[in-house]
Amino acid sequence: MSDFDQIIVGEEWENTDLSLLETLDHVLNRGLVIAGEITIAVADIDLIFVGLNVMVTSVETANEVLRKRQATE
Amino acid sequence: MRLYVYCLAEGVDRLHQTLRGVSDAEVRIVELEEDLSALVSVYRSDDFQISRKNALAHHEVVRSITEQTTPLPTRFGTVVTIEQLRNYVSTHHHAIKAKLAHVRGGVEMNVRMIQSIAAADTSREPEDAGGPGTAFLLEKRREILRDEAGAAQKGQLSAWLREKLGDFIKEEKISITPSETVILARADHLISRADVQEYRTKMAKAVEERPEIRFMVSGPWPPYSFANIELEFSSQFGVS
Repeated sequence: MSDFDQIIVGEEWENTDLSLLETLDHVLNRGLVIAGEITIAVADIDLIFVGLNVMVTSVETANEVLRKRQATE
Repeated sequence: MRLYVYCLAEGVDRLHQTLRGVSDAEVRIVELEEDLSALVSVYRSDDFQISRKNALAHHEVVRSITEQTTPLPTRFGTVVTIEQLRNYVSTHHHAIKAKLAHVRGGVEMNVRMIQSIAAADTSREPEDAGGPGTAFLLEKRREILRDEAGAAQKGQLSAWLREKLGDFIKEEKISITPSETVILARADHLISRADVQEYRTKMAKAVEERPEIRFMVSGPWPPYSFANIELEFSSQFGVS
């Protein structure tokens, strides 16, 4: 188990990698699904993998952020 | 003509002049029924890429109107014709209006939780599991026990969060992803925008009570996790 710890992320974290990954997770994996002509049909598969990568990476990034923070404390 | 759709919303009458959408496209308001409208861009397939830049542009468009109203964000990559959009809104009119009323004035907060599975975890089995049939059955048993542990954990976390934050939560969704060594849980909370600071304060206090769990709290977000009408249908009727 890593040293993943409590992180409060808000709008003030906009420019951090963590906030970026959280944003991507919301945009790619959530939201209203409208059955349309495309709904980026080519992305149906790709986005699943993109989403998984975002999830995995977000945890890794969170750990890295914490390590850096703890190193400076 | 195809439209890239960012969100549905009520009462949108203006956009930021500098606002640009995916592929740097102009963002427009398409008026639909009553005061319901959609934020869209003209979709050009030769310009569009599934990229981080476009995903962030999608979010920026959604976020740009949150000072005016609470939108129902659409998922990244939603492309429809204007006829399909109007048809969707017409056929889902009541559900969309109900959903907009539900999220009005609200924001989404997310809590990610990671908890180690105890040493007594049932996944620990003898190295020599016998033949492939036995190994298969042992693996199935581990899966079932993991699922059961996940369900139990989900109930416990939900009850605990409700106890700590109950006054703020308008709606909650919890998902659990158990693995061999940890349980990954995610709670999505719909709360009033006015309660964000107090939510954070209460959450920070709650975190101190559970040192065995690692937390990450994020938000406020537009209500991405509470926008999908199809999920509501699925939960009510048991089909998707």
